[in-house]
This record gives sequence, structure tokens and C-alpha cells, in this order.
Amino acid sequence: MPTLEMTNPAALPADWRDFVALTKPRVMYLVVFTGLCGLLVAPVMPPLVLGFTAILCIALGAGACGALNQWYEVDVDAKMRRTASRPLPAGRMERETALHFGVGLGGFSVLLMGLATNWLAAALLAASILFYVLVYTVWLKPRTAQNIVIGGAAGAFPPLIGWVAATGQVATLPVLLFAIIFLWTPPHFWALSLFVRSDYAAAGIPMLPVVAGAETTRRQIFLYTVPMGAAAIAPWPLGLTGAVYGISAAVLSFVFLVLAGRVAANRATEPAGMGAEKHLFAYSVFYLFALFAVLVADRWLA
Amino acid sequence: MTSAEDEIIRKRQRDRARITALLLGAFVVLLFFITIAKTGTNW
Repeated sequence: MPTLEMTNPAALPADWRDFVALTKPRVMYLVVFTGLCGLLVAPVMPPLVLGFTAILCIALGAGACGALNQWYEVDVDAKMRRTASRPLPAGRMERETALHFGVGLGGFSVLLMGLATNWLAAALLAASILFYVLVYTVWLKPRTAQNIVIGGAAGAFPPLIGWVAATGQVATLPVLLFAIIFLWTPPHFWALSLFVRSDYAAAGIPMLPVVAGAETTRRQIFLYTVPMGAAAIAPWPLGLTGAVYGISAAVLSFVFLVLAGRVAANRATEPAGMGAEKHLFAYSVFYLFALFAVLVADRWLA
Repeated sequence: MTSAEDEIIRKRQRDRARITALLLGAFVVLLFFITIAKTGTNW
């Protein structure tokens, strides 16, 4: 692409790649995967094209959340190394364009979900988008260290939406899947926020390590791992899954607990000494992927 | 506005128009198959 100093930068239309970047595609993988697993473990299998559309709508809804989040947090993003090169803080797109794109994409995803699958799934998708944007981004994130504890609910919706898109109703298993992601979010994000603490502090975001310190955060990570593991194993004793899932969930959760224990024992204050936190963060992503993959395998093997 | 700037703007407009056309085409195809699936089954 030719680069040139524009005499009037505002006249330059945003590049289409910046619209893609606005949707945070790298964050979307987990959302799409958990939504797909929710759909695949449902007792009713929709026609392929409708299942595809349901997952597409979940992805578009997540994209809308990313765009609206970036629209609202442009000042915060400009202060953090990790986010300063995004389209809005870098000045490659007008703020209003991001707002229109986000609202349009969100509305489109909900309408398409309702028309292609059912309106309960569409309502849940709309609720998750509104929860992420209004409750998490606008209300909780800049105000309280509990932001990701409550805000984690937004990221927990996809498997529930996937299930409801396939069956038209809510059941115990997808609610447990919701609970797993809800309880997984705090240890996952707090592990990250420990080693990027200075970024959050510079941007004035009251993440737990900024407000309560590293020691409290490490203890909270460990404490949250216990109910998370319990929720992960629960579908087995409740008879909702088989032993393949139950044993795998127990092993995966035990490893999570061991890594969280290493984090709790760590006393490092600089990111260079936070190997345990980085390991836990990387493992937490693998954990959720593996847990949901095993869930699908268990259902299909049964 | 210089002609070089004008060229960049035209290129971006062309690119965005192409992407929009592709997405609209894909949407039409998707709607077609959704309609077939919805009318062809009792699901």
C-alpha cells in the first residue's frame, strides 16, 4: 500500500483491514470455538447451513463487541503499548465510523441469528453484546477491580447461545458451560494483568493488581481456580457427560490448580520474574480449548 | 489535494467497494441456503 503524508488525513477513507482489526479477530477464536462446542454437544443437530449461520452470528456479535469496545476506549488504548497501534488511537479511522460499524454489525448479527435459528438465541446474543458493551466496558471496567469478575459473564455466553441456537431452549449443561467460562475468566485475566500491570496503571484501569497489589491478585487467582475446577468437573457426576470428559476435566483442572499454586507462591514484582504468571496465562487458554474439545469428543463417542 | 493523495483515496474506495460487493454476494448465497434449509425441514 502506498504511504504518503496526507495534507488532509480526515479525507482518507479507512482501509478495510482496519475494519477487520476493529473486530479483534484474535480474541474471537475462543468465542467461536466455545460457541461451536455448545452447538455440537446439543442433543439436536441443526442443518449444516443453520449451524454455520449461528456460529457466524456469534462471531459477528463478538466483532461488534470489539468494535464498540475500541470506540469507547480510544483514550485508554492510546495510553497502553499493547493497544496504541489500533486503528482509532493510531488515527487511521474516525471514531464515528467505528461506532456505526459496531452498532450495525451487532444489530445485523442479532437479526440474522433470529431469522436463521430462533429468537431466544438472538435475545441471548443481544444480551451478551449489551452486557459486554454497557455493563463491562462502560460501567465496570473503569470503576472497579471486580470488572472482569462480573464482566466475565459476557464471554461466557457463546456455548449457551450455540446450544440454544440448536435446541431452542436452555438446559443444565449449557448453564454449567456458562459457569465454567465465567469462573475461568478471573484467573485468566488476572494472570495477564499481573505481567502487564504497568500498562493498566498508566491507563488508569483499576485492575486487581493495580488496586489491591500482586499478592492479593495471586491469592484470588488460586481461590477462583477451585470453584472453576468444580464447575468443570460437575457435568460428569451430574450425569450430563461421560467419564472421558470427567477424567479429562479433573486432570486439566488439577494442572490448572498446580500452576495457580506456583503463581500464588511467586513473589516477583517485575514482569521479567513472572514466568509462573505467563505459564498460567498460556495454559488457561489451552485449558478452555482442551476442556471444550474433550466435551465434544465425549458427546460424540457416547 | 494532490493527485497522489487522490489516487490513494480512489484505491481505498475501490478496495472497500470490492469487499462490500463480495460480502453482499456471500450474504445473498447464505440467505438462499438458509431459506432452503428452513423450508425443507420442520426444524
